[in-house]
This record gives sequence, structure tokens and C-alpha cells, in this order.
Amino acid sequence: MPDLGKGFPDACTEVVMAVSNTSSITLSASDRLIAGVLALLLGGFLVFGAGLANSAVLHDTAHDTRHSYGFPCH
Amino acid sequence: MIVRYLLAALVAGLFSGVLMTAAQEARVVPLILHAEQFEGGDEAAPATEGATPTTEGAAATHEHSSLGAVLLDMASSLSPVSVAYAHDGEDHEEGGIMFGMSRFSGTLLANLVTGAGFALLLAGFSLVSGHPITVANGALWGAAGWLAVHMLPAIGLPPELPGFPAADLTQRQIWWIAAVVLSAAGLYLLFLKPGIVAKIAGLVLIAAPQVYGAPQPSDISSAVPAVLGAEFAVAALATTLFFWIVLGLSLGFANEKIAKAA
Repeated sequence: MPDLGKGFPDACTEVVMAVSNTSSITLSASDRLIAGVLALLLGGFLVFGAGLANSAVLHDTAHDTRHSYGFPCH
Repeated sequence: MIVRYLLAALVAGLFSGVLMTAAQEARVVPLILHAEQFEGGDEAAPATEGATPTTEGAAATHEHSSLGAVLLDMASSLSPVSVAYAHDGEDHEEGGIMFGMSRFSGTLLANLVTGAGFALLLAGFSLVSGHPITVANGALWGAAGWLAVHMLPAIGLPPELPGFPAADLTQRQIWWIAAVVLSAAGLYLLFLKPGIVAKIAGLVLIAAPQVYGAPQPSDISSAVPAVLGAEFAVAALATTLFFWIVLGLSLGFANEKIAKAA
């Protein structure tokens, strides 16, 4: 399946812009899925590290944030 | 293109994290500092020593609408003297704030990381489910994120102040993660899937962790005044709602920008 999200020649730009006015997703379905899964994994990792990880240094640094966001703490 | 969508989420998340830090410093952190004065009563000398500058700050800022008091508190939290977090009754490994930063810098850093994390999760949810986040619907996406991550789990585990009684940490974290995942899945079925069966299944998923029940402490007595706890619960939920609405809107804005730039 050709990669529709990359390498548009200049002539195609207007078409893409017209599409993006109705929907901000201009990715092909498979690229969209890859981007989505990557974002979920990376986001989960960051939230886990800041909010839940059982490390004293991480806990102390993020202490006030953990309480403010209502993460289970202590 | 994939990287652009991730970058859009990062920008929106970092921006929301900065605004969230300001909201926290104004509304939430003074209550945390105040509660720490009651936590454990007479603590070891280093803890009291570290708490001395904040004691005045917390006492003064408790009328938390006074701008001067908030500035005073921010100034004291900017000082490089880090407050000891030793919570009594727990054998902590050696902790301390990363890179010897001040308490405020630590909170700012944690808010940036958390903001970027939640932004990526929200963007990932939108990309996988195929429903784009725009400026027009961004606030609603944000509100749904707040419901899934804060409001619905808070029914079982309300935001806790330092010094509040609580059940085993691991059990609470497992329940919290399960509640967030089930609530998010339930909200997806409720809002984005047509058909009465999906709506009912969504409600069942949202109710499931609440029916199962969050782990509760056996002894609920605490030295921290209840009024502080009530103010804190409202302040925590209000500031996180603010955070999520800013996040949804800025993510919608960033998405539209990169779609136009593509």
C-alpha cells in the first residue's frame, strides 16, 4: 500500500488543504494507527513515570504534582 | 507526518503543563504545604527546619485569593532549599528532588512531563479511534479526558492530601489504572459509538470499577483538618478540569495548524 501521507508533489498540496479543512487527520489509515499507538505508548510511559513509578527520587520531584492530579500517592 | 502529530501533542501538552503549574501554585500547593504542617506532628529536626519558611507562607496563603500571599509563597518555593518530604511511618529509600532542583522546579518539570504524557494519550486515543480533535470540539475532548482520569476515579479514591489515611499503595494504583482505562473505554462507547447497546455497555464499563470498590483504609483518623481535605479535593478537581480543557483546546489548535502546514 502506497504511503499517502508523505512526499506529496506541490500540485497536490491544495487538495490536501481542502481535505484538512473538514478533518484535521490527513494520514492514511495505517499511518494513523501507527501514530496513535506510538502516542499511547509514549504518553503512558510519561504519565507512569511522573505519576505512578515507585522511585523515591521521582516521587519527591513530582510530589506536589502527584497530589494535585489525584494520583494515588504514599 | 506521524512525527508531526506527535509533536503537536507535545506542544499542546507542554503549554498546558505550564498553565497547570500556575493554577496549582495559586490553588493547590498552599493547601498541600498547610497539610504537611499537621502530618506526623513533631517530626525530626531537618523536616521542621525545612518547613519553617513554608510555615509562614502556608499560614499567610491560606486566604488563597490574596495575590501578594501567592507571590510570597512562590518566592519561598523558588528558593533552592528543598523541603524534606519524609513521611512518618514509612521506610523510604534515599529520595530528594532530581538534580538538586527547588521544589517549584520539580513540580514544574513533573507538570511538563505529565502534560506531555496526557496530551499524547489524548492524541493517541483520537488517532486510534479515528475521531479528530479540533478547536471546535477540543474542550469536549478535554472534559471527557478529565472525567476519565480525574472525576470518575475520584469517586473511589478522592484526591488525597499528605497525611491522609490510605490503603496499600500498590492496590490503590492498580484500582486507579483500571478505573481510568474502564472509564475511558466506557466514555468512548457512550459518546462516540452509535446504538443503544453501545451506550448501555459504556455505562456498565464506567460503573464496573465503582461497583467493585476502591481499596479503602481500615483506620480513617487523621491529624489533617477535614476542612483542608474538602478544600483540597475541590481545588484538585477544579485545576485538573482547567488543565484538560486547555489541553483539549490547544491540541485541537495544534492539530489544525499541522494539518494546514502539511
